[in-house]
Parts: sequence; C-alpha cells; structure tokens
Amino acid sequence: MAGSGAVKTRVQRVGGFATLPWRRIILIILGATIAFVVVVGSYRTLTLPAAERYSGDFWVDQIVNGLGQGAILALIALGYTLVYGILRMINFAHGEVFMAGAFISFFFADAYVKSGFLNSNPYFSLLILFVVSIVGSTVVAVLLERIAYRPLRNAPRLVPLITAIGASLFIQNAFRGFFGPQPYGYPLPDVLAGSVELFGIPVSKVIIMVFVVAIVSMVVLQWFVHRSSTGRSMRAVAEDSEIASLMGIDVDRIVVVTFIVGGVLAGIAGVLFSLTFQQVQFTMGFKPGIAAFTAAVLGGIGSIGGAALGGFVLGLLQAIGPPLLLTGFSIPSPFSIRDAFVFLVLILVLVFRPGGLLGSGEAEKV
Amino acid sequence: MKRRRWLTVVATVAVLALVASACSNDDDGGGGGGGTDTETAVDEFGTVEVAAGEPINLGTLMVISGADAALGQDSQNGAVLAADYLDGTFDGTAGQLLGHDINWVHEDELCSAEGGQAGATALAADPSIAAVIGTSCSSSALGIADTITSEKGILLFSPSNTNPALTSDEAHQPFYARTAHNDRIQGAVVAEYAVNEAGATSMATISDESPYTQGLTAAAEVNFEAGDGTITASERVNSEDTDFKPVLRSIAEGDPDVLYAPVFVAACSLIIKQAADIMPDVTIMTSDGCLSPDTIEATGNAIDGVFVSGPDISVFQEGEFYSNEFLPAYEDQFGSEPTAFFHAHSFDAANVIFDAIEQVAIENDDGSLSIPRTALRDAVFATSGYEGLTGIITCTELGDCATDVTIGIFEGPNWPVEGGEGDGQPVFSETKSLDDVL
Amino acid sequence: MRPAMRVGASGGIVTIFLAAVGLIGNFTNLNLIGDQVTFAGLMLLIAPLIAGYVVTAPKLESGSLVRVDRGRAAILGAVAGVVAGSVFAAFVVFVDVFGVERIRAIFLNISPALMDFLVGERPVPVAAALLVAIAVAAGIAGAVYRVLPDAIRKPLGSAVWVTLLFGFLQRIVPIALDQLDIERDWLYSKTTRGLTWVGAVVIALVSAGVSVLKDRKGDAIRRAVAGRRSREAEGPKLTPLSFVIALAGLAAVLVAPHVLGSVISEVLGTVMVFALLGLGLNIVVGYAGLLDLGYVFFFTLGAYSLALLTGATLNTFVGSTAPAIALDLNFYVAIPVVVLIAALSGVLIGAPVLRLRGDYLALVTLGLGEMIVVLVTSPWLDPLVGGPNGMRDITNAAIGNFGFRDPKHFYYLAFAFVVLALFVSWRLANSRVGRAWTALREDEQVADAMGVSTTAYKLLAFAMGGAIGSVGGALFAVKIGSLTPASFTVLVSIQVLGIVILGGIGSLPGVLTGTLVLVGLPGLLREFEEYRLLAYGGALVAVMLLRPQGLVPNVRRSRELQEEDREQDKWAGDVAADEHVAAAASPLGESAG
Repeated sequence: MAGSGAVKTRVQRVGGFATLPWRRIILIILGATIAFVVVVGSYRTLTLPAAERYSGDFWVDQIVNGLGQGAILALIALGYTLVYGILRMINFAHGEVFMAGAFISFFFADAYVKSGFLNSNPYFSLLILFVVSIVGSTVVAVLLERIAYRPLRNAPRLVPLITAIGASLFIQNAFRGFFGPQPYGYPLPDVLAGSVELFGIPVSKVIIMVFVVAIVSMVVLQWFVHRSSTGRSMRAVAEDSEIASLMGIDVDRIVVVTFIVGGVLAGIAGVLFSLTFQQVQFTMGFKPGIAAFTAAVLGGIGSIGGAALGGFVLGLLQAIGPPLLLTGFSIPSPFSIRDAFVFLVLILVLVFRPGGLLGSGEAEKV
Repeated sequence: MKRRRWLTVVATVAVLALVASACSNDDDGGGGGGGTDTETAVDEFGTVEVAAGEPINLGTLMVISGADAALGQDSQNGAVLAADYLDGTFDGTAGQLLGHDINWVHEDELCSAEGGQAGATALAADPSIAAVIGTSCSSSALGIADTITSEKGILLFSPSNTNPALTSDEAHQPFYARTAHNDRIQGAVVAEYAVNEAGATSMATISDESPYTQGLTAAAEVNFEAGDGTITASERVNSEDTDFKPVLRSIAEGDPDVLYAPVFVAACSLIIKQAADIMPDVTIMTSDGCLSPDTIEATGNAIDGVFVSGPDISVFQEGEFYSNEFLPAYEDQFGSEPTAFFHAHSFDAANVIFDAIEQVAIENDDGSLSIPRTALRDAVFATSGYEGLTGIITCTELGDCATDVTIGIFEGPNWPVEGGEGDGQPVFSETKSLDDVL
Repeated sequence: MRPAMRVGASGGIVTIFLAAVGLIGNFTNLNLIGDQVTFAGLMLLIAPLIAGYVVTAPKLESGSLVRVDRGRAAILGAVAGVVAGSVFAAFVVFVDVFGVERIRAIFLNISPALMDFLVGERPVPVAAALLVAIAVAAGIAGAVYRVLPDAIRKPLGSAVWVTLLFGFLQRIVPIALDQLDIERDWLYSKTTRGLTWVGAVVIALVSAGVSVLKDRKGDAIRRAVAGRRSREAEGPKLTPLSFVIALAGLAAVLVAPHVLGSVISEVLGTVMVFALLGLGLNIVVGYAGLLDLGYVFFFTLGAYSLALLTGATLNTFVGSTAPAIALDLNFYVAIPVVVLIAALSGVLIGAPVLRLRGDYLALVTLGLGEMIVVLVTSPWLDPLVGGPNGMRDITNAAIGNFGFRDPKHFYYLAFAFVVLALFVSWRLANSRVGRAWTALREDEQVADAMGVSTTAYKLLAFAMGGAIGSVGGALFAVKIGSLTPASFTVLVSIQVLGIVILGGIGSLPGVLTGTLVLVGLPGLLREFEEYRLLAYGGALVAVMLLRPQGLVPNVRRSRELQEEDREQDKWAGDVAADEHVAAAASPLGESAG
C-alpha cells in the first residue's frame, strides 16, 4: 500500500499541472476570442464602404446555395450516422459509396444525352439515373460490409477504422484505374436549366429539385425508421445489439439493411451532386465525404435529426462563414480557406459541446 | 548495467555515423565518367565517355504517371521521335549521331518536389548520361531538378516548364535551359488581348495552389495594370474544389469585364460551367493548363466564347513537315494523336542537343566519343537562329531559348485540340520576346 | 465442392478486376524472367493460384484441425481453377464479341493491347480454353503448395518469391552491382531488362539453400538470440552473439550508401524521414492509443519552421524575397527550437481537444491536418511561407564545409536522428510514462480512477509525438532544399498511419519495417507509381483483416488485439466439442460478442 501511495503522489505532481483550472482558463480565452472574431468580423464585413461591401443579392445567393449543398451533405451524413448508430463505427469509405453511384450513373446519363433521350423524356431518364446510382452505391456499400467490416465486428475500434480508410483509398483508386483520372461532364437535362423566381429570389431549378428530393428522402427515411418494423429493429439494435439479438432480431441482417439504406441515400445524393456541379471525377467522394462526416458529428453523431441538421448548418456555414467573418479582417481570398474554416468550427463545437449540436452537451467517456 | 551498455552502443553508433559521413567524401567522381584528360582543356565537370559501339545515353524526366501523365508522356514521345528522325525518316528506329546510337533513359518526376528529386538523382547518378530533357512540371524543376543536374554538370533542357522563376536572375541554375515559353510572355499576351481586343478595363483573376497559375496571373495582372486596367479581385482557390460559386459570386460583385482563370482541367471546367450562370456577361479567359480535350468534353456548350491562350504553332503546324510527317509518325508509333502541346518543344530541344553534341564531341581514334559537359552546355546556350518546330530558337544567358514566343488566343469552341470545333486558328496572335514584357 | 467453386468464382472476378484496372494490360512488357515470365502473366495467374491455396485450407472441425489430403487438394485446386478460368474466359469472350473499342469507351484499360496479350492471333475459343487451362494449372499449383511437406514447401516458397523479387528490382539491383563493379550481365539481361533464366535459376537455388540452412541452423541461432526477447519490460538482454549480430547490422547500415549508390541512398533518405514520422506517430497512436489522423500537421510545422528559422527565402516569380519573419540560425541550433515549437503547439492544440472520445478525436485531428495544409497555401500566409511557389535555399545542415544535401550524406544525418528517436521511444516505452500510456490505452476510465492523470499523459504523448514528427519535417526540408505546399497533403497523414499500422502498432522494429515496405518499396519500384495508392488501400484492408497486429508485432499489443478473438475461439472450441449444445446455442452464440 505504501508503494501505491508513493505512486499516487508522484503522478499527482505531474497531473497537477493540467487539472481543471488550466483547461477552464484556456476554454474561456478561446471562447472570448471566438466571440470577438465573430462579432467584430461580421460587423466589419457588413459595414464596409459600399464599394467593397457584398450586396444583399450576394448574401441571398450564398444562403440559397449553401442550403442546397447542405441538403446533399445531409443525405450523405445520414448514411454515416445510421452506420455509426448501429456499429459504433465511422464508415470512412462512405464518401466513395457516394462517388460510385454518381460515377456509374454518369455512363447512363452520357448515353442518354448522346441519344437525345435525356431531353425527350427528362423525367423518366432522371428516374433511371437515380435508380442506377442507388443500385451502384448500394452494391458498393453491401460489398464493403461483407468483405471489410463484417469480419471485424468485434475488433477494437482502431481496426475497422483503418480498414475503412484503406477501403476508401482502394475504391477511389479502383475507379481511377477503371475510368481514368480525368473529370467527366455530367449532362443536365434542359428542363433543369435556368432558374425561377421564388419570393423574388432567383433560385436555380437544380437547387429546387435538390431540396425537393432531399426532403422527400428524409421524410421517407424518418417514416421508415420510426414506423416500419425493420426500422424498429434498427433502432433496437442501435440501442443495444446484444439485447436486440436476444429478442430475436437478426443483427446481421439489420446491419446489412442499414448499409443498404445508407447506400440508397448516398446514391440519391450522388445524382443530385452531379446535376448541381455537372461533373464527376474519381476524387469527388473525398471532400464531400469528410464534409458530411463533419456534418454528422456537428449535429451529434448517432442521431438522424442531428445528421440532417448538421448537414444544413454546415452547408450554410461554409457558404456564409468565410466571407462574413474573414473579409472584415482583410484576410485575402477568404474562400480558399473555407475548408479550414469549417474544420475550425467543428473543433470549436466539439470543444464546447462535445456531443454535437443535438447531443447531450457532456463529454462521453466511453 | 544492461542499459548503460546500450547507451554506449547508441552513442558510439551516432558518433560513427557522423565520422563515417565525414570520411566518405569520395563520391562517384566529379561527375562525368572519370574526367579523363584529352588534348583539350580539362572540363570542370568532366566528359561523358561513349565507347565505340555503345549508344549515347540521354535522359528524359517527365511526369509519366498520375493525373498529368498525358502531358509528360507527350513530351517524352517528342524526344523519342527526334532520335528517330536523326536518320532523316520516321521509321520507328532511332538514327545515329556521330556513328553512335541514341538511347533514352526515361524517368518519372511525378510532378512533385520529391519526385523531381528522386528522378533527377537517378539520372545524375548515371555518369553516361550526357543531357536530360525535362521536366514537365515547374514544381519539380525549381530549386530541385535544376540544382541537382547543375551540380553534376548535366544539361537539363525543359520542353514545358513555363514558370518565370526558373530563368530569373536569382534562381537560374547554370545548366538549365528551356524551349518552352516563359509565362511572363503568355501572361502579357493575355493582358494585351484583354485590353486591346476585348476592350476590358477591369479584370479579376483566379489562381490555385500551383506555381504555374501563380506565374501566369501575376504576369497578366502586372501587364494589365500597365495598360491602365484595374484588377478587381485576385482570388485563390483549391484545384480540388468543386464549388466555385461563392468565389465567382464574390468576383461578380466587383463587376469585372474579364475573368482570367489559368487553372487546370478539373477546376477549369467547373469554373467555366459555374461562371456561365453567375456571370454570363463576363469574358472568361484561361491558359494552356486547361487546353485539353477533357475540358471540352466536360464543359459541353459552356465552352462557347471562352478564350484560351497557348503557344501558337499554327504557322508551323501548317507546315509540310509537321502535318505530313511528324503527326502521322506520332500516331503510328504511339497510337493516338498528341495528348498535349509540348511534344514539339521536346522535339526541338532534342535536336538542339544533337546539334550541340555534334559540335563539341571529340571523336577519338578508337571510335569512342568524348563529350565535354561544359562545352556541351555552352554550345546549347550559344544556339541562335535555329529553326525549330516551335519557332526560332535563340538561347539567352539565363536559359530562355524560346526568346521570340508566339502566343495565340483561341476562342471556344474553336480550341486547337481534339474535340474543338473549327480550324484551330487563333483569333489573336502575338509574338513577343522577354524584353517586350514586364 | 461448393466452397471451391465460390472461391474460384471470386478468383475469376479478381482477375477481371486486375484487367480492368490496367495491371495486366499495361505490364505486358515488364519482363521478370527472360522473355516469357512477364508481370502481366503473373497477374493472370495469381488469383487462381491463391484460390487454390485458400480452398485447401485446413478446417476446424470438432475442435481439431483437419487437413486436406493430397488427392482431394488437387481436385479442389482444379475446381477452383476451372471456375476462375471460366469466369475470366467468359469475360474475354464477351469483350471480344461486344467489341473492344466499345468497352474501352467506358473501361479505359480494356484495350486492344490487352486483348492482344490475352487472345493474340488465336481464334477466340482456343484462347478461352487456354486461359481456363492456365487457371486450372495455377489452381492446382496453389493447392499442391498447401499440401507439400514442409521440407519441400519452404525452400520452394522462398525460391519463388525471392526470384520474383529480384525480377521486380530490375532497375535497382543492377545499379548496386555496377557500383560494386560486379559483373552482372549474366544475371540481368540488357535486352529484356529482367532476369535471365540462368540468373533466375541461380537465385532460386541460392534462396532455397538459404531457406533450408535457416531451418536447420535457425533453431540454434534463435535460441542464442532468444535472450533478447525474454521480457519486453526489461528491455533486450545482451548476449555476446546478439551483440555481434547487432554490430554487424549496424556496420551494414553505415556502409550502405557507398555500396548502393546515390539512387538507393536517396530512397533510403526518404525512408529515414518517414521512419521518423512513423516513430512519432507510434508514440501517439501506438503507445498512448490516441487516434491521430492529422499527423501532417507536425510534418508541415517542422518543415516550415526550420525553413523560416534557418534563413530560407520565398520563391517569387522573379526570383526570391525574404519572408516576413526570418532568422538565420544554424541548423543544429534551430532543431531544438523546432522541437520546442512543435511540442508547444501539440500542447496548445491538445489541451482543449484531448478530452474527446476516440472517433471525435480522429476527426478533429484530421481537421487540424487539413487546416494547416490549407493555411500554408492560402494567400493570407503568402508573405510568410511563399504560398504555392514555396521556399528555397534551405540550409544543408552543414558542419563546417561538409554539407548534407547529397543523398549519401543526408542518409547519415537522417540515420543519426532516427537512432535518437528510436532511443527516446524505447526508453519512454519502458518507463513510468510508458506504463501510464499503456494503462490509458487499455482502459481510460480505470486508469483515471487509479490516479493516472489522463490529460497530462495524453498531452505528453501528443507533444512528444509531435516533436519527433516535426524533426522529420525539418529533415525533409533539408533533404529537398526547397519546399512546396504540394508535398504536404492529408495523404501524408494516411501514409504515416499506414506505416505504423502495417508495421505493427507500438512496435519499434515494426515501424521500421513498415517504412521500408510502404515507402522504400514504392520508391524502388517506380513503374508501379500509378498503382501505389490502390495497393496501399488494399494492403491496409488485408492487414487489418488478416493480421491486425502488423508485420512485426509488439507482443503486448498483439495480445490486446487478439484477446477477444482468442476468447471467442476458445469458447467456440468448447462449444463445438459438445455438438448438442452447439446446435441449440448457435443463433445466440453468433451475435453475443
């Protein structure tokens, strides 16, 4: 006992250095700095002399586009959060699931635009594109689960994470090997070209479709998770998989269903993304993947509402944040720092509210 | 006790390491194959000895893998064709120079600093390599490949480095030269077109994280302002971004007449498409980094009215030689039309080197060849008035051999690459030398 | 029979994948041995071969290992081969019938050159039959390999893979031999660039011989050296033999640059830099169990700090200018400062963040890595770090007149630092700090309850790991002499993570092995540059599935990783022994972790 007492004092001396008071101090300073940056930066940006100031139209455009991107991010984020809820695992390769569907649908889209089918039957061809993308994404998601994740179901957390990173690299480069490193132009049907006036704001038709499809998908998902029996099983497994299996639920099947649902959503997001930017490339999954994961964490990972909210918030943030806050401090090219800005926000949210926006507000210990 | 012993071992090792390195000053000779004395003065960097019956080894250092492989492979092909043409015909087999075959040693520079270092080191380690044609990317050359080769006295002749710093007073390495244009010229021509032809008074630029775009936008801005224009915005983006709308919108606020975005294919096509919606009345200009069939394919109709600048070799392209002999040989040997622009520059660089070797090589009695390195370099740098595929080649002290550069401005969809619709002729073409630009 | 068909089918699909990705079509001219054994051919064979090997795996039945007998093995191998070959042949026929050009419009690597290699002048059915036959042969070979007696199998295996390795290293080994003035035309042909048949046979025989010798004498040597491995916590014991071996090894390492020449020294220099990064990350991920996905942060910080501290200049398009903050310190004075900056940054960043749970921490560190990459290219920091054009004239760490930029000299500088880092890591692992980290890693809550200050030790890990990583960055800057932001990407973080994981988490020899494999090998095999990341991703997945403890595992960590597996196996074994119980309990058993 004397020995451990000696150990205790020794450790405490080192430990004393970094116990609570320091952390709180750093947090307070951090909080104050952020408040300062946000308030002062916004103020200065908005009160710049008229020649240098951004116009109202600019802000409106940014908000609309930000929300549009946010919708796409939300769809992908839902995939992350569903898998995390069930497996407590970050599916790093989900970005590639998204890319796979989009890429595969490209070849159909390309064929359709060349044959004129795309514009003669736009809605029907769009439907087919969605279906193809969904199938593509789902196949990749299910393969991932079976080959890379299922054998590692009980491994320590690090292992499936590394596997996911490896799988992400592998899928990305496989597509690069198949189809080449160059970008391909994704055609836009004429019906979706141009914009309409909504409440006096010009909104591009593509964004309207993005919103509609995304919101419908989320509503359907919500119904599925909360009303259907499979959804109930999913929620049960997410709560506690051991007890769920004792109650007779086939956990393996539910896991596959979860991946399928995530794949479906990613596939839908894939087409929406491709129509928005009219381009596909083998790298297109990486950044949106990380952004969506950030969104899921931002909203509170494991929570469906959190993923959706996180998606929209993140979309808005990355559209408005840099110009609003950074221009005021005369930081050149605020948009080039957009990614860094988003991450900074994430870090700050996690520091002050570790569970995310819809999380519990306390640091989870396990 | 055991721990102390290990400590001693470790300390000894560390000391040994430093001592060993200090004693290892031998290297592989002072560059070149042994620095043999011949009748002429001893060349500081030695001579390349080519035994009788052995081929003359020349290196290429291009980006032949990865996303930019099309660029590097194309230049490499140009060099190979030059060796082929030594016997006067394109027959798939290399000709001979002074009775010796030509053998190309190909290395990959990966379009990065590490790749440039690795590739240049590999070539520099081979004492039989007389000269190197490379690099493709300025980022592997600047301060890296050019320094490594200059330290060994190996001539590095680039067909496609356009970054101005490479031939600047401060940074130029003595054994570096290029047949590619200096981007100060290209930027100046773009500015000139904007001011004189497009009547623009305000311009915004977009650059990305590569030195290539930096050089171009800087040159364009400087010349535009000298022409009484104002720069409304100088934005920086990431080449891997997909959403350029915020930047474009921000630029649109400044209401420029012209947007100059000399970025690479992926970003370029996205910017073109997105700018079509956000700033439909703004003239968009870009440069040769974007001049690829992939851009045309990816942008579709949005390419209409988008201007691109690039080396205008149309005068020579119309020439008999290029269209009737060179191009068919290229397709024959490599299976497709040229995938990039700089094969012609590479062809010229190789030929200049061949001529220089002929000039300075010492033919020994036993049939072997001695090529003094410094003399070779001097001969290349003394090239003047040489008529190449790309124009008149006259090398300056600082290694810019494309002194009179013709840059053309092409209007979409009439771009001079596969997929462009039209005759591939520029709407504006200007020949400038470095002295004409800022 | 069915499993054999399934495995065979997967093998066929894998071969199709290899063809579609370009690994067959692009390497028909990469001669490994003579003119006949090409890399493309190898790729064609490898899937059925592995299928044959997998299909004959011994099974766990009723608690004991059941091996497959020879006859059955051959049959299984043949079946797998037939199915694999048929699948692939069907694909080839399909391409031929549908038209290569049409498929090539989508799958760029299904090219006429590929079809030429696979079909050639032969009529299609004949070519298809040939492909099936080849696959059958490969399948049987794989199966037979499995059931060969050990005495034949091991030498054969060594012979084959060592010979192939020499075939792969056809650009490097000749250079090394030339450096040593050793005649090598009998070994590597000048026309085909690959091994000659004579050379191949010689290498095969030599490696088989070595393998046999190792087996016979190996036990004796192993016992002599075994003193080293007795107990990890006490550190290696020194016996005379192990001391001699260690010294010999060190001598070899010291003499390497002169023997191997500049090209290989340059690759080894890069290996050393990444080894440093690996050692640093090993402290963070391996010892303290903190998942850090943004290690490029310290790499970048170290490189740019060193540049700014030692008087590097910024590249501009007319030459160069001085950065906004520039000091002109000597390299050896600057290094401690860099270490200090990195450690401080590690603490400052870590303090708010280290309370987060594993996955969140991973994301946050990833974000930090991204942030610094973005910042370094942004126009905001242009006046400080030169933006895209980067910096030049970085010190060559000269002592007196002796500069370290030459690849051979740099090797020694880097080696010295690696040794230092190894020493620091080793001592840390076996100290109170190391034990605290182990406690932290195994169960944070319990460690906290026991009085181990989790935050302090986490910060320490972060700071130390960061410090070592920043030294790696500084050396990188010295090695290249210039800095461009293009070298600093998120991919670097992933590569370093791969090194630590693949080599063996928490294992020092593991990190070195991992670096040699993941950095050294691609550096030497530059023809495969296009496929590097593909291989990387595949390797990571494969390692995690098959051998999560890495190539050279740390004993304790591998126990941690396999504990749960073993308990399950034991449980499954116990249960299976009693078949009634097994039958009744299986639905529950599978899902009860």
